[in-house]
Amino acid sequence: MKKQVVAYLLLVVALLALSACTTVQPTGQSADAPAEGGLLAEIQAAGKLVVGTSADYAPYESIDADGNFVGFDMDLIRAVGEKLGVEVEIQDMPFDSLIASVQEGKIDAVIAAMQATAERDQQVDFTIPYRMTKDAFVGAGDSTLVIEKPEDAAGISIGAQTGTVQEGWIQTALVDTGLTAADQVFSYERADQAALDVANGRIQLLLMDAEPSIALADETGLKILLITELTAEGGKSIAIPDGASDLKAELDRIIQELLDDGTVQQIQEANGLP
Amino acid sequence: MDFLQDLIATLSFILQGLWVTIGVTLLALTVGLVFGVAMAMLRVYGNRFLRQVATVYSVIVRAVPVIVIIFILYFVIARFVNLSPFLAGSLALGFASGAYQTEIFRGAFQAVPPGQMVAARAIGMSRLQAIQSIILPQAVRLALPAWGNEATLVLKDSTLVFVVGVPEIFRRAQQISARTLEPFMAFGAALLLYLILTMIATQILQWIERRYRLQM
Repeated sequence: MKKQVVAYLLLVVALLALSACTTVQPTGQSADAPAEGGLLAEIQAAGKLVVGTSADYAPYESIDADGNFVGFDMDLIRAVGEKLGVEVEIQDMPFDSLIASVQEGKIDAVIAAMQATAERDQQVDFTIPYRMTKDAFVGAGDSTLVIEKPEDAAGISIGAQTGTVQEGWIQTALVDTGLTAADQVFSYERADQAALDVANGRIQLLLMDAEPSIALADETGLKILLITELTAEGGKSIAIPDGASDLKAELDRIIQELLDDGTVQQIQEANGLP
Repeated sequence: MDFLQDLIATLSFILQGLWVTIGVTLLALTVGLVFGVAMAMLRVYGNRFLRQVATVYSVIVRAVPVIVIIFILYFVIARFVNLSPFLAGSLALGFASGAYQTEIFRGAFQAVPPGQMVAARAIGMSRLQAIQSIILPQAVRLALPAWGNEATLVLKDSTLVFVVGVPEIFRRAQQISARTLEPFMAFGAALLLYLILTMIATQILQWIERRYRLQM
Protein backbone atom coordinates (compact mmCIF):
# COMPACT_ATOMS: atom_id res chain seq x y z
CA MET A 1 0.00 0.00 0.00
CA LYS A 2 2.77 2.39 1.02
CA LYS A 3 4.68 1.51 -2.13
CA GLN A 4 1.67 2.40 -4.21
CA VAL A 5 1.38 5.82 -2.63
CA VAL A 6 5.06 6.47 -3.29
CA ALA A 7 4.64 5.38 -6.92
CA TYR A 8 1.76 7.83 -7.41
CA LEU A 9 3.67 10.68 -5.87
CA LEU A 10 6.68 9.97 -8.08
CA LEU A 11 4.47 9.98 -11.16
CA VAL A 12 2.86 13.28 -10.26
CA VAL A 13 6.29 14.81 -9.68
CA ALA A 14 7.49 13.46 -13.02
CA LEU A 15 4.45 14.96 -14.77
CA LEU A 16 4.99 18.32 -13.12
CA ALA A 17 8.64 18.27 -14.16
CA LEU A 18 7.57 17.49 -17.70
CA SER A 19 5.11 20.37 -17.83
CA ALA A 20 7.66 22.68 -16.21
CA CYS A 21 9.98 22.00 -19.13
CA THR A 22 7.53 23.58 -21.51
CA THR A 23 7.13 26.81 -19.64
CA VAL A 24 10.78 27.40 -18.81
CA GLN A 25 12.21 26.12 -22.02
CA PRO A 26 11.56 28.71 -24.73
CA THR A 27 15.17 29.90 -24.84
CA GLY A 28 16.64 26.41 -25.00
CA GLN A 29 14.03 25.22 -27.45
CA SER A 30 14.39 28.12 -29.82
CA ALA A 31 17.92 26.88 -30.42
CA ASP A 32 16.76 23.71 -32.12
CA ALA A 33 13.79 25.19 -33.96
CA PRO A 34 14.20 28.44 -35.85
CA ALA A 35 17.47 29.95 -34.60
CA GLU A 36 20.05 28.70 -37.04
CA GLY A 37 18.45 30.42 -39.90
CA GLY A 38 15.72 27.94 -40.61
CA LEU A 39 12.31 29.47 -40.17
CA LEU A 40 12.22 31.95 -43.03
CA ALA A 41 13.80 29.41 -45.37
CA GLU A 42 11.42 26.73 -44.09
CA ILE A 43 8.42 28.95 -44.75
CA GLN A 44 9.61 29.79 -48.22
CA ALA A 45 10.38 26.16 -48.98
CA ALA A 46 6.91 25.12 -47.81
CA GLY A 47 5.41 28.04 -49.74
CA LYS A 48 3.11 28.57 -46.80
CA LEU A 49 2.97 30.88 -43.80
CA VAL A 50 0.83 29.41 -41.00
CA VAL A 51 -0.68 32.23 -38.96
CA GLY A 52 -2.68 31.94 -35.76
CA THR A 53 -5.47 34.32 -34.79
CA SER A 54 -8.50 34.47 -32.52
CA ALA A 55 -11.29 35.22 -34.96
CA ASP A 56 -13.77 36.88 -32.62
CA TYR A 57 -12.50 40.44 -32.70
CA ALA A 58 -14.02 42.51 -35.48
CA PRO A 59 -12.88 44.62 -37.27
CA TYR A 60 -9.43 43.06 -36.80
CA GLU A 61 -10.37 39.44 -37.28
CA SER A 62 -13.65 37.65 -37.58
CA ILE A 63 -15.34 35.06 -39.74
CA ASP A 64 -17.96 36.08 -42.27
CA ALA A 65 -21.13 34.15 -43.07
CA ASP A 66 -19.29 32.07 -45.67
CA GLY A 67 -16.61 31.03 -43.20
CA ASN A 68 -13.86 33.29 -44.57
CA PHE A 69 -11.40 35.07 -42.29
CA VAL A 70 -11.96 38.81 -42.72
CA GLY A 71 -10.79 42.02 -41.10
CA PHE A 72 -7.83 44.38 -40.91
CA ASP A 73 -5.33 41.84 -39.59
CA MET A 74 -6.41 39.25 -42.14
CA ASP A 75 -6.05 41.63 -45.09
CA LEU A 76 -2.70 42.80 -43.77
CA ILE A 77 -1.23 39.33 -43.27
CA ARG A 78 -2.35 38.35 -46.77
CA ALA A 79 -0.58 41.42 -48.13
CA VAL A 80 2.51 40.36 -46.18
CA GLY A 81 2.24 36.84 -47.58
CA GLU A 82 2.03 38.23 -51.08
CA LYS A 83 5.26 40.18 -50.54
CA LEU A 84 6.88 37.08 -49.07
CA GLY A 85 5.73 35.11 -52.07
CA VAL A 86 3.95 32.49 -49.98
CA GLU A 87 0.40 31.39 -49.34
CA VAL A 88 -1.12 32.36 -45.97
CA GLU A 89 -2.91 29.68 -43.97
CA ILE A 90 -4.94 31.00 -41.03
CA GLN A 91 -5.56 28.95 -37.90
CA ASP A 92 -8.29 30.02 -35.51
CA MET A 93 -7.74 29.35 -31.79
CA PRO A 94 -8.42 30.97 -28.41
CA PHE A 95 -6.35 34.07 -27.73
CA ASP A 96 -4.82 32.37 -24.69
CA SER A 97 -3.44 29.50 -26.81
CA LEU A 98 -1.71 31.70 -29.40
CA ILE A 99 1.58 32.37 -27.60
CA ALA A 100 2.01 28.74 -26.61
CA SER A 101 1.30 27.64 -30.18
CA VAL A 102 3.90 29.91 -31.72
CA GLN A 103 6.40 28.90 -29.03
CA GLU A 104 5.91 25.25 -29.81
CA GLY A 105 6.21 25.82 -33.53
CA LYS A 106 2.58 24.87 -34.21
CA ILE A 107 2.19 28.12 -36.12
CA ASP A 108 4.78 30.43 -37.68
CA ALA A 109 3.30 33.72 -36.53
CA VAL A 110 0.42 35.34 -34.64
CA ILE A 111 -1.61 38.28 -35.88
CA ALA A 112 -4.40 39.04 -33.45
CA ALA A 113 -4.35 42.76 -32.65
CA MET A 114 -1.70 41.76 -30.13
CA GLN A 115 0.49 44.24 -28.30
CA ALA A 116 4.16 43.55 -27.65
CA THR A 117 4.17 43.69 -23.86
CA ALA A 118 7.35 43.01 -21.88
CA GLU A 119 5.91 39.75 -20.53
CA ARG A 120 4.99 38.46 -23.97
CA ASP A 121 8.33 39.63 -25.32
CA GLN A 122 10.07 37.19 -22.98
CA GLN A 123 8.20 34.31 -24.57
CA VAL A 124 8.20 35.29 -28.26
CA ASP A 125 9.62 37.91 -30.58
CA PHE A 126 7.62 40.76 -32.09
CA THR A 127 7.87 42.62 -35.37
CA ILE A 128 7.74 46.40 -35.50
CA PRO A 129 4.21 47.65 -34.76
CA TYR A 130 1.92 47.82 -37.76
CA ARG A 131 -0.62 50.00 -36.00
CA MET A 132 -0.58 52.20 -32.88
CA THR A 133 -3.59 51.75 -30.66
CA LYS A 134 -5.77 53.49 -28.16
CA ASP A 135 -8.04 52.11 -25.47
CA ALA A 136 -11.64 52.95 -24.68
CA PHE A 137 -13.53 53.09 -21.41
CA VAL A 138 -17.05 51.95 -22.23
CA GLY A 139 -20.08 52.45 -20.04
CA ALA A 140 -23.81 51.78 -20.23
CA GLY A 141 -25.86 53.91 -22.62
CA ASP A 142 -27.35 55.90 -19.73
CA SER A 143 -24.13 56.01 -17.73
CA THR A 144 -23.53 59.26 -15.83
CA LEU A 145 -19.91 58.47 -15.05
CA VAL A 146 -17.39 61.14 -16.02
CA ILE A 147 -14.06 59.66 -17.04
CA GLU A 148 -11.66 62.39 -18.13
CA LYS A 149 -8.45 60.53 -17.48
CA PRO A 150 -7.77 56.81 -16.89
CA GLU A 151 -7.38 57.27 -13.11
CA ASP A 152 -10.98 58.50 -12.91
CA ALA A 153 -11.94 54.84 -13.19
CA ALA A 154 -10.67 54.26 -9.63
CA GLY A 155 -13.11 52.50 -7.35
CA ILE A 156 -15.61 51.68 -10.08
CA SER A 157 -16.44 48.09 -11.06
CA ILE A 158 -14.62 47.37 -14.30
CA GLY A 159 -14.21 44.48 -16.73
CA ALA A 160 -11.69 43.45 -19.39
CA GLN A 161 -10.87 40.50 -21.60
CA THR A 162 -8.72 37.85 -19.92
CA GLY A 163 -5.02 38.05 -20.68
CA THR A 164 -5.19 41.40 -22.48
CA VAL A 165 -2.98 44.42 -21.84
CA GLN A 166 -6.05 46.28 -20.65
CA GLU A 167 -6.54 43.72 -17.90
CA GLY A 168 -2.86 44.11 -17.04
CA TRP A 169 -3.23 47.87 -16.85
CA ILE A 170 -6.22 47.59 -14.50
CA GLN A 171 -4.16 45.31 -12.27
CA THR A 172 -1.03 47.47 -12.09
CA ALA A 173 -2.56 50.96 -12.25
CA LEU A 174 -5.76 50.45 -10.28
CA VAL A 175 -5.60 47.32 -8.12
CA ASP A 176 -1.92 47.24 -7.11
CA THR A 177 -2.09 50.91 -6.17
CA GLY A 178 -5.15 50.31 -4.02
CA LEU A 179 -7.39 52.61 -6.08
CA THR A 180 -9.78 49.79 -6.94
CA ALA A 181 -10.57 46.70 -4.85
CA ALA A 182 -9.63 43.38 -6.45
CA ASP A 183 -13.24 42.18 -6.24
CA GLN A 184 -14.36 45.11 -8.40
CA VAL A 185 -12.39 43.78 -11.34
CA PHE A 186 -14.01 41.25 -13.65
CA SER A 187 -12.32 39.16 -16.28
CA TYR A 188 -14.11 37.95 -19.39
CA GLU A 189 -13.20 35.41 -22.04
CA ARG A 190 -14.40 37.77 -24.75
CA ALA A 191 -15.10 41.51 -25.00
CA ASP A 192 -18.67 41.03 -26.21
CA GLN A 193 -19.51 39.08 -23.06
CA ALA A 194 -18.17 41.96 -20.97
CA ALA A 195 -20.25 44.38 -23.05
CA LEU A 196 -23.40 42.41 -22.24
CA ASP A 197 -22.61 42.68 -18.54
CA VAL A 198 -22.14 46.44 -18.88
CA ALA A 199 -25.49 46.68 -20.66
CA ASN A 200 -27.12 44.60 -17.92
CA GLY A 201 -25.60 46.75 -15.18
CA ARG A 202 -23.48 43.98 -13.65
CA ILE A 203 -20.35 46.07 -14.15
CA GLN A 204 -20.08 49.81 -14.78
CA LEU A 205 -17.05 50.02 -17.03
CA LEU A 206 -15.32 48.00 -19.69
CA LEU A 207 -11.76 48.72 -20.76
CA MET A 208 -10.89 47.51 -24.24
CA ASP A 209 -9.23 48.38 -27.53
CA ALA A 210 -10.76 51.59 -28.91
CA GLU A 211 -11.53 50.54 -32.50
CA PRO A 212 -13.61 47.41 -31.90
CA SER A 213 -15.33 49.26 -29.05
CA ILE A 214 -16.94 51.65 -31.52
CA ALA A 215 -18.78 48.91 -33.35
CA LEU A 216 -19.49 47.03 -30.15
CA ALA A 217 -20.92 50.09 -28.39
CA ASP A 218 -22.98 50.84 -31.47
CA GLU A 219 -24.56 47.41 -31.61
CA THR A 220 -25.15 46.95 -27.89
CA GLY A 221 -26.26 50.52 -27.13
CA LEU A 222 -23.26 51.32 -24.94
CA LYS A 223 -21.51 54.68 -24.61
CA ILE A 224 -17.81 55.38 -25.06
CA LEU A 225 -16.72 57.53 -22.13
CA LEU A 226 -13.05 58.06 -22.92
CA ILE A 227 -10.56 57.17 -25.61
CA THR A 228 -7.01 57.26 -24.33
CA GLU A 229 -3.50 56.18 -25.25
CA LEU A 230 -2.73 54.71 -21.86
CA THR A 231 -1.46 51.39 -23.17
CA ALA A 232 -0.39 52.61 -26.57
CA GLU A 233 3.30 52.34 -25.98
CA GLY A 234 3.56 49.07 -27.90
CA GLY A 235 1.16 49.20 -30.76
CA LYS A 236 0.01 46.05 -32.50
CA SER A 237 2.66 43.67 -33.74
CA ILE A 238 3.00 40.25 -35.30
CA ALA A 239 4.40 37.64 -32.88
CA ILE A 240 6.92 35.10 -34.14
CA PRO A 241 8.98 32.39 -32.39
CA ASP A 242 11.71 33.57 -30.05
CA GLY A 243 15.01 33.88 -31.90
CA ALA A 244 13.62 33.73 -35.44
CA SER A 245 15.77 36.70 -36.42
CA ASP A 246 15.69 36.07 -40.16
CA LEU A 247 11.90 36.02 -40.22
CA LYS A 248 11.74 39.12 -38.01
CA ALA A 249 14.06 41.07 -40.31
CA GLU A 250 12.05 40.12 -43.37
CA LEU A 251 8.67 40.87 -41.76
CA ASP A 252 9.91 44.19 -40.36
CA ARG A 253 11.07 45.17 -43.84
CA ILE A 254 7.76 44.20 -45.43
CA ILE A 255 5.66 45.95 -42.75
CA GLN A 256 7.70 49.15 -43.15
CA GLU A 257 7.20 48.92 -46.90
CA LEU A 258 3.44 48.46 -46.52
CA LEU A 259 3.28 51.38 -44.07
CA ASP A 260 5.29 53.61 -46.42
CA ASP A 261 3.43 52.87 -49.63
CA GLY A 262 0.04 53.46 -48.01
CA THR A 263 -1.18 49.86 -48.19
CA VAL A 264 -1.79 49.73 -44.44
CA GLN A 265 -3.75 52.98 -44.62
CA GLN A 266 -5.83 51.56 -47.46
CA ILE A 267 -6.56 48.33 -45.56
CA GLN A 268 -7.51 50.33 -42.46
CA GLU A 269 -10.03 52.38 -44.39
CA ALA A 270 -11.43 49.33 -46.14
CA ASN A 271 -12.13 47.81 -42.71
CA GLY A 272 -13.67 50.95 -41.26
CA LEU A 273 -10.78 51.79 -38.94
CA PRO A 274 -9.91 55.45 -38.27
CA MET B 1 -40.03 35.50 -40.28
CA ASP B 2 -36.91 37.52 -39.54
CA PHE B 3 -36.23 35.36 -36.53
CA LEU B 4 -36.56 32.22 -38.61
CA GLN B 5 -34.20 33.53 -41.25
CA ASP B 6 -31.65 34.45 -38.58
CA LEU B 7 -31.95 31.02 -37.03
CA ILE B 8 -31.45 29.31 -40.37
CA ALA B 9 -28.41 31.48 -41.17
CA THR B 10 -26.95 30.78 -37.73
CA LEU B 11 -27.61 27.06 -37.98
CA SER B 12 -26.09 26.76 -41.42
CA PHE B 13 -22.96 28.54 -40.21
CA ILE B 14 -22.61 26.36 -37.14
CA LEU B 15 -23.36 23.23 -39.17
CA GLN B 16 -19.94 23.58 -40.79
CA GLY B 17 -18.55 22.45 -37.44
CA LEU B 18 -20.83 19.42 -37.31
CA TRP B 19 -18.49 16.99 -39.04
CA VAL B 20 -15.61 18.18 -36.91
CA THR B 21 -17.57 17.45 -33.76
CA ILE B 22 -18.67 14.06 -35.08
CA GLY B 23 -15.13 13.24 -36.24
CA VAL B 24 -13.53 14.20 -32.93
CA THR B 25 -16.16 12.27 -30.98
CA LEU B 26 -15.89 9.07 -33.03
CA LEU B 27 -12.09 9.11 -33.07
CA ALA B 28 -11.88 9.82 -29.33
CA LEU B 29 -14.41 7.09 -28.54
CA THR B 30 -12.50 4.56 -30.64
CA VAL B 31 -9.15 5.44 -29.10
CA GLY B 32 -10.76 5.37 -25.65
CA LEU B 33 -12.33 2.00 -26.39
CA VAL B 34 -8.99 0.47 -27.33
CA PHE B 35 -7.30 1.95 -24.24
CA GLY B 36 -10.25 1.10 -22.02
CA VAL B 37 -10.58 -2.56 -22.99
CA ALA B 38 -6.81 -3.13 -22.95
CA MET B 39 -6.29 -1.44 -19.58
CA ALA B 40 -9.34 -3.15 -18.06
CA MET B 41 -7.96 -6.54 -19.16
CA LEU B 42 -4.62 -5.67 -17.58
CA ARG B 43 -6.32 -4.61 -14.37
CA VAL B 44 -8.37 -7.77 -14.09
CA TYR B 45 -6.12 -10.41 -15.65
CA GLY B 46 -2.64 -8.88 -15.67
CA ASN B 47 0.21 -9.74 -13.31
CA ARG B 48 1.14 -7.46 -10.42
CA PHE B 49 3.16 -5.05 -12.53
CA LEU B 50 0.65 -4.72 -15.37
CA ARG B 51 -2.18 -4.30 -12.90
CA GLN B 52 -0.25 -1.47 -11.33
CA VAL B 53 0.38 0.23 -14.69
CA ALA B 54 -3.30 0.12 -15.60
CA THR B 55 -4.36 1.37 -12.17
CA VAL B 56 -1.96 4.30 -12.26
CA TYR B 57 -3.21 5.25 -15.75
CA SER B 58 -6.83 5.16 -14.74
CA VAL B 59 -6.38 6.99 -11.44
CA ILE B 60 -4.11 9.75 -12.74
CA VAL B 61 -5.94 10.45 -15.98
CA ARG B 62 -9.27 10.62 -14.18
CA ALA B 63 -7.77 13.00 -11.66
CA VAL B 64 -6.58 15.48 -14.30
CA PRO B 65 -9.05 17.78 -16.09
CA VAL B 66 -9.50 16.75 -19.72
CA ILE B 67 -8.53 20.22 -20.92
CA VAL B 68 -5.14 19.86 -19.19
CA ILE B 69 -4.56 16.50 -20.87
CA ILE B 70 -5.33 18.06 -24.25
CA PHE B 71 -2.87 20.87 -23.57
CA ILE B 72 -0.11 18.50 -22.44
CA LEU B 73 -0.58 16.16 -25.39
CA TYR B 74 -0.67 18.97 -27.92
CA PHE B 75 2.13 21.14 -26.60
CA VAL B 76 4.46 18.61 -24.98
CA ILE B 77 4.12 15.36 -26.85
CA ALA B 78 3.24 16.82 -30.22
CA ARG B 79 6.51 18.71 -30.09
CA PHE B 80 8.24 15.48 -31.05
CA VAL B 81 5.57 14.16 -33.43
CA ASN B 82 3.91 16.63 -35.73
CA LEU B 83 0.18 16.10 -35.18
CA SER B 84 -2.58 18.24 -36.62
CA PRO B 85 -4.76 19.98 -34.01
CA PHE B 86 -7.65 17.72 -35.01
CA LEU B 87 -5.65 14.54 -34.45
CA ALA B 88 -3.92 15.78 -31.30
CA GLY B 89 -7.19 16.96 -29.79
CA SER B 90 -9.03 13.77 -30.65
CA LEU B 91 -6.24 11.51 -29.38
CA ALA B 92 -5.98 13.46 -26.13
CA LEU B 93 -9.73 13.26 -25.64
CA GLY B 94 -9.56 9.52 -26.40
CA PHE B 95 -6.69 9.06 -23.96
CA ALA B 96 -8.77 10.74 -21.26
CA SER B 97 -11.94 8.83 -22.13
CA GLY B 98 -9.90 5.61 -22.04
CA ALA B 99 -9.44 5.99 -18.29
CA TYR B 100 -13.19 6.19 -17.73
CA GLN B 101 -13.77 3.32 -20.13
CA THR B 102 -11.17 1.28 -18.20
CA GLU B 103 -13.40 1.50 -15.16
CA ILE B 104 -16.50 0.66 -17.19
CA PHE B 105 -14.91 -2.46 -18.66
CA ARG B 106 -13.22 -3.48 -15.41
CA GLY B 107 -16.64 -3.63 -13.81
CA ALA B 108 -17.99 -5.57 -16.76
CA PHE B 109 -15.13 -8.08 -16.73
CA GLN B 110 -15.56 -8.63 -13.02
CA ALA B 111 -19.29 -9.10 -13.44
CA VAL B 112 -18.75 -12.25 -15.50
CA PRO B 113 -18.81 -15.10 -12.96
CA PRO B 114 -15.21 -16.24 -12.31
CA GLY B 115 -16.32 -19.87 -12.58
CA GLN B 116 -16.56 -19.42 -16.36
CA MET B 117 -12.85 -18.73 -16.59
CA VAL B 118 -12.10 -21.81 -14.51
CA ALA B 119 -14.41 -23.91 -16.67
CA ALA B 120 -12.85 -22.59 -19.88
CA ARG B 121 -9.38 -23.43 -18.60
CA ALA B 122 -10.63 -26.88 -17.57
CA ILE B 123 -11.70 -27.75 -21.10
CA GLY B 124 -8.23 -26.76 -22.35
CA MET B 125 -8.55 -23.12 -23.45
CA SER B 126 -5.65 -20.76 -22.83
CA ARG B 127 -6.30 -17.66 -20.73
CA LEU B 128 -6.27 -15.49 -23.84
CA GLN B 129 -8.67 -17.80 -25.68
CA ALA B 130 -10.99 -17.81 -22.69
CA ILE B 131 -10.98 -14.02 -22.49
CA GLN B 132 -11.51 -13.72 -26.22
CA SER B 133 -14.36 -16.13 -26.72
CA ILE B 134 -15.98 -16.49 -23.30
CA ILE B 135 -15.44 -13.40 -21.19
CA LEU B 136 -15.13 -10.53 -23.68
CA PRO B 137 -18.40 -11.13 -25.59
CA GLN B 138 -20.31 -11.07 -22.31
CA ALA B 139 -18.37 -8.19 -20.79
CA VAL B 140 -18.93 -5.98 -23.82
CA ARG B 141 -22.67 -6.52 -23.54
CA LEU B 142 -22.62 -5.80 -19.84
CA ALA B 143 -20.60 -2.64 -20.43
CA LEU B 144 -22.92 -1.21 -23.08
CA PRO B 145 -25.29 0.88 -20.92
CA ALA B 146 -22.46 2.57 -19.06
CA TRP B 147 -20.48 2.93 -22.27
CA GLY B 148 -23.41 4.70 -23.92
CA ASN B 149 -23.33 7.20 -21.11
CA GLU B 150 -19.60 7.77 -21.64
CA ALA B 151 -20.26 8.23 -25.38
CA THR B 152 -22.60 11.16 -24.74
CA LEU B 153 -20.07 12.65 -22.30
CA VAL B 154 -17.32 12.47 -24.92
CA LEU B 155 -19.64 14.13 -27.43
CA LYS B 156 -20.00 17.08 -25.11
CA ASP B 157 -16.33 17.09 -24.08
CA SER B 158 -15.47 17.46 -27.76
CA THR B 159 -16.06 21.20 -27.22
CA LEU B 160 -12.75 21.24 -25.33
CA VAL B 161 -10.58 20.48 -28.37
CA PHE B 162 -11.07 24.05 -29.46
CA VAL B 163 -8.25 25.11 -27.10
CA VAL B 164 -5.83 23.76 -29.69
CA GLY B 165 -7.73 25.35 -32.58
CA VAL B 166 -10.25 22.80 -33.83
CA PRO B 167 -13.36 24.63 -35.10
CA GLU B 168 -16.14 22.39 -33.82
CA ILE B 169 -19.78 23.31 -33.19
CA PHE B 170 -19.19 25.30 -30.01
CA ARG B 171 -16.43 27.43 -31.56
CA ARG B 172 -18.57 28.11 -34.61
CA ALA B 173 -21.25 29.34 -32.21
CA GLN B 174 -18.71 31.62 -30.52
CA GLN B 175 -17.59 32.97 -33.88
CA ILE B 176 -21.07 33.82 -35.04
CA SER B 177 -22.04 35.31 -31.69
CA ALA B 178 -18.95 37.55 -31.83
CA ARG B 179 -20.03 38.72 -35.28
CA THR B 180 -23.80 39.14 -34.84
CA LEU B 181 -23.71 39.89 -31.09
CA GLU B 182 -26.67 37.58 -30.63
CA PRO B 183 -25.35 35.01 -28.18
CA PHE B 184 -28.75 33.49 -27.41
CA MET B 185 -29.37 32.71 -31.04
CA ALA B 186 -25.86 31.31 -31.54
CA PHE B 187 -25.65 29.16 -28.44
CA GLY B 188 -29.30 28.17 -28.73
CA ALA B 189 -28.55 26.79 -32.17
CA ALA B 190 -25.53 24.93 -30.78
CA LEU B 191 -27.71 23.52 -28.02
CA LEU B 192 -30.18 22.30 -30.61
CA LEU B 193 -27.44 20.52 -32.55
CA TYR B 194 -25.97 18.85 -29.46
CA LEU B 195 -29.44 17.75 -28.44
CA ILE B 196 -30.07 16.19 -31.84
CA LEU B 197 -26.66 14.51 -31.89
CA THR B 198 -27.13 13.09 -28.40
CA MET B 199 -30.60 11.82 -29.26
CA ILE B 200 -29.32 10.08 -32.38
CA ALA B 201 -26.39 8.56 -30.49
CA THR B 202 -28.70 7.34 -27.72
CA GLN B 203 -31.06 5.74 -30.25
CA ILE B 204 -28.21 3.91 -31.98
CA LEU B 205 -26.78 2.68 -28.69
CA GLN B 206 -30.19 1.49 -27.50
CA TRP B 207 -30.66 -0.40 -30.72
CA ILE B 208 -27.27 -2.08 -30.26
CA GLU B 209 -28.16 -2.91 -26.66
CA ARG B 210 -31.44 -4.56 -27.71
CA ARG B 211 -29.83 -6.35 -30.63
CA TYR B 212 -27.05 -7.91 -28.57
CA ARG B 213 -28.90 -8.43 -25.30
CA LEU B 214 -27.76 -11.51 -23.38
CA GLN B 215 -30.40 -14.24 -23.43
CA MET B 216 -30.13 -15.45 -19.87
